[in-house]
Amino acid sequence: MRKLMNAEIMEHDFKLRQMGADVYVLNSKMCYVLFMVGKHEISYVYNINTKGRYFLERIKPYPLALREFESEADVIEIMLIDLEQFKNASQSHNIDVFIDINKRFNLSLRKFEDLFLYFNVPKETAEHIQAELDRIDALIVETRQTAERLYFKKNPDNL
Amino acid sequence: MQNQLIIAIGVFLITYLMIMSEKLNRTAVAMVGAITMVILNIEAQEKALQYVDFNTIGLLIGMMIIVNIMKKSGIFQYVAIRAAKLAKGDPWKIILYFAAITALSSAFLDNVTTVLLIVPVTLVICDTLELNPIPFLVPVILIANIGGTATLIGDPPNIMIGSATGLGFMDFAVHLAPVVVVIFIVTMFAFKYGYRLQYIASDANKAKVLLLDEKLAIKDPILMKKSIVVLAMTVIGFIFHQTLHYESATVALFAASVLLLISKVDVEDIFIDIEWPTIFFFVSLFILVGALEEVGVMKFLASKLLELTDGNMMMTMIVILWVSAIASSVLDNIPFVATMIPLIKNYGEMSNLDVSPLWWALSLGACLGGNGTLIGASANVIVHGLLTRHGHKMSFGYYMKIGFPLMIVSIMISTVYLVLFII
Repeated sequence: MRKLMNAEIMEHDFKLRQMGADVYVLNSKMCYVLFMVGKHEISYVYNINTKGRYFLERIKPYPLALREFESEADVIEIMLIDLEQFKNASQSHNIDVFIDINKRFNLSLRKFEDLFLYFNVPKETAEHIQAELDRIDALIVETRQTAERLYFKKNPDNL
Repeated sequence: MQNQLIIAIGVFLITYLMIMSEKLNRTAVAMVGAITMVILNIEAQEKALQYVDFNTIGLLIGMMIIVNIMKKSGIFQYVAIRAAKLAKGDPWKIILYFAAITALSSAFLDNVTTVLLIVPVTLVICDTLELNPIPFLVPVILIANIGGTATLIGDPPNIMIGSATGLGFMDFAVHLAPVVVVIFIVTMFAFKYGYRLQYIASDANKAKVLLLDEKLAIKDPILMKKSIVVLAMTVIGFIFHQTLHYESATVALFAASVLLLISKVDVEDIFIDIEWPTIFFFVSLFILVGALEEVGVMKFLASKLLELTDGNMMMTMIVILWVSAIASSVLDNIPFVATMIPLIKNYGEMSNLDVSPLWWALSLGACLGGNGTLIGASANVIVHGLLTRHGHKMSFGYYMKIGFPLMIVSIMISTVYLVLFII
């Protein structure tokens, strides 16, 4: 199996180099981590390589790239915080709505990308989308001022 | 002693059958069989280790290290693109050049490594030409096994035979390379005729092949130069290893260690890609067969073979050639050859005959026989696996309809060659 995998890597390497890429193949281990919080599955993948870099990504309940880390402790810490926050959130009756909104944000992002990559979008439409985003952003910030804070171990990264 | 004989035969047969069934991992099965021989006191641990042919093991590890470093340079992709461009995108010329590269490469590297290097490039070329890759990869399988037959280091059976008998690189090249060249030519003619309707591509797609840039394939030009120099020195070392009184493993391991040192690659990365399951499979088989020798089974079988053939060398040679070929077309040829080596050695000692023709018969039969079916050799299984991963189906029957007749033709050519030039 390892031989087949190596042959496939060689083929990808060949194709990508012909496309003009520099390809670096690193020996690494991929870890798949699964938690169940109530009925919700929370899963992550992260990659440990010999260069000491860790690439962490959340897969479920909705995909999110969680950055690159320099130590295994940081990876575990970020998963611990993420898990605690999901446990907290799962107590709320809004959890399903929260997950649904996140999934829709992700889907909208992909649709938006398709829109711009496949079609010639008028300037007014782009401005309209920006205005809608500003409106949603303002709503999030406004809600933060009035809503009760539930998690105190760490401050929000983006809010 | 009687009990030990029965136990040794029993453990050996059970292990052999389990390896043949392919239900369990062959290395794990062979290891259990080998350790069982030691635990049941058929052979003591020290004695068991004496049966391990460390020249074979060293040669395999040395060549694996060299190839693992070389492939990081991109040299194989570079050569393949140059060949495809030299062929001006013409499918038949591409497969002819790729077959020549495969034959040459498998003569100096092992067959599995060769197909692992050539198949990814072939798949990309077939994608570019918008052609079905199967008519390109069936010849690659057959030629990899044919090319590997030509030299001491080309195929594991030859490494085992060379190590057990003291036959050197030049002995193999002189006795086997001529017939391998003939078989190569006949096989490629058969493909040219058989697949003639498949080797047709549009001019537009041929032009796309010319757009491939071989320079982009070179990942590390300095490593490429170092690898070429070390490989050339290794081949020279193999050519003169008998004259210089060095074992072939010494040459391979010296070259491997020098390349490890001067290439500045991550040694751990290179060692990860050594095929340790194959290495442990060999070690276990040596111990298993050693146990049979220890209890006298090999002497008994050799005496029976002598009785049966009445010392007629030509008949024995032809029987070994054809039995090896047919057996290797459906069975793993490594355990088969591991068993045959002590048998032929004992046969030689008992009959006082020069058994060297039997070694060439065993080598030709075991190496070429692998072409008979899709499971006959590791290279076949690997190419099939890669095709399946790419969504191309090549059935056992489809391959056999092509591979088996061509294998029979190659054994017929070998028979004529052995009878006319070897005996």
